[in-house]
Amino acid sequence: MKRRNVAVIGCGQTKHSSRRRDVNVAEMVSEAVYNALEDAQVSAREVDAFVVGNMPGFGGVAQPEQWIAESLGAAGKPVLRIATGGTTGGSVGQGGYYVVASGLHDMVVAVAWEKHSDSKEAGATTGLLHVGLGNFFHAAGYGLSLKNLVATSVVGAAAGVAVYQAMFYMHRSGCGIEHFDMVAAKARRNAAKNKYAHLQWPGCTAEDIAKTDIVTYPFRYGHICPASDGASAIVVAEESLARKKAKQPAWFKGLASYTDEENQLQSENFGGVGVTDPSEQRGCWLSAVKAYRMAGIVDPKTEIDVAEIYQPFPSQELFFAERLGLFDEGTAWMALETGETEIEGRMPLDPSGGVNATNAIGSSAMQRILECALQIMGKAEEHQVPKKVRNALAHGWGGVTNYSTVTVLGDTPGR
Amino acid sequence: MEGKSEIVEVKTFPFPAGFNWAVGPMMERFIRTLAGRKVLGARCPGCGYTYVPPRSRCGQCQAAIAEKDVVELSGKGTLISYTNAHVAPDGNGNLKDLEKPIVVGAVKLEDADSVLFMPVEGVKPQDLKIGLAVKVRWREETKGAVADICCFEPVG
Repeated sequence: MKRRNVAVIGCGQTKHSSRRRDVNVAEMVSEAVYNALEDAQVSAREVDAFVVGNMPGFGGVAQPEQWIAESLGAAGKPVLRIATGGTTGGSVGQGGYYVVASGLHDMVVAVAWEKHSDSKEAGATTGLLHVGLGNFFHAAGYGLSLKNLVATSVVGAAAGVAVYQAMFYMHRSGCGIEHFDMVAAKARRNAAKNKYAHLQWPGCTAEDIAKTDIVTYPFRYGHICPASDGASAIVVAEESLARKKAKQPAWFKGLASYTDEENQLQSENFGGVGVTDPSEQRGCWLSAVKAYRMAGIVDPKTEIDVAEIYQPFPSQELFFAERLGLFDEGTAWMALETGETEIEGRMPLDPSGGVNATNAIGSSAMQRILECALQIMGKAEEHQVPKKVRNALAHGWGGVTNYSTVTVLGDTPGR
Repeated sequence: MEGKSEIVEVKTFPFPAGFNWAVGPMMERFIRTLAGRKVLGARCPGCGYTYVPPRSRCGQCQAAIAEKDVVELSGKGTLISYTNAHVAPDGNGNLKDLEKPIVVGAVKLEDADSVLFMPVEGVKPQDLKIGLAVKVRWREETKGAVADICCFEPVG
């Protein structure tokens, strides 16, 4: 198959916080886009097309691409909206790759965002209602009462799913709750070095996190990601433009996206689910295998230099790192204990603080790609990993709730 | 299933949900200023295109538009298109016939480039024409809401 080489040549984000009441959606998304254009030193006029997306239903705007298009400079240009639930940002980033690699466009902006504070209720309740409504009605069609469904199955949507994942992982790996304290503390410490991150806590320790109350075992308040407002954007270009515009482009080397059966809401097929262990994440594993093959990576344990893993809950950093082939099964928590996953460690995981410190849902998987690009371009500032980054791994997870994206970026096109 | 409703009725919902959109500083100023019976627009510093309501980025030339670019408009305008509505929602998901058609017009405001779609009152159907000079009719009590603009009516 003939594909063009494609790279990220510019990155832009907004500062992430609980409430960006000073801007509307179009203004917030534009902020990230124009920051990315400035970083890439290109004007909006030079951009051929836009790939956009947020978590469908969140923020209550049904056709956000139509609201934001003119503000982004997309008037009169092709706009492709992609929405794959919590993984949206990963799919939007990959969409940016597809439209350039295919030869359809030479330079595009891919932007993803979320504005939780546009929900009146705390957290993401209103957004979840939009996402879950279809599933609730399926369940009702099977004769299940809504109250029962919520009490037994959903238990707070992604949090409910993640609890089961964490318990399965603890059972099979020997990992303990103290390791989740360590991951969360690392996320907050790293976030303190990332000026765009939300939950910043310089010097946060596992003991600090362990003082917070349990929400649903094994999760404490201190383990759980915030609901953030924010947007992130990348400028994606074909090879000759990329070499002209960027000193060190971040090349897309391999990517893939698979989905598992959803394993908690399980409403479309209530009465049976094929996935026994929700931490198995076969879609993540398949995505990684496929992406590595495309990137020419044989041994991810030595060839991947840094990984940005989608970890709204700390357990996810550990078992996803294993599913992504960065550690042997059931050993990521041991590497955490020895500091291997710190910014200056052998295999830094989420040097930006990751989703655990900043979760503007639609944007979160895009941020993983963006952060990997920053590491390769050497622009991650205070959270730049000290070693030379040749290959970086960006992971996304979401959907409802087992849709995975894996993207390998590198310092050379690799083909 | 013949003869039996397949509609699943949901009587209670396990959590409340509402929205609380931020409209952004320009739109907020536009809405608040309506209380003083003034219509604001934003004139792009790059190309001069003038938006009503004001916005912070020009869709024509991509220039950033700032608070200083907000301009007060006369509230007068020109009818550039119109239609007559003969039905309206009855509040129960159906349509009801109107006793008298409502004129909905596309009004290009003086010194602005964008268009507002609003009811047009005080004009006989036979007098409707493209180019008709119209102005804002304000509600008797204005309070800083979009509904302060009652409709447009012919000038004079």
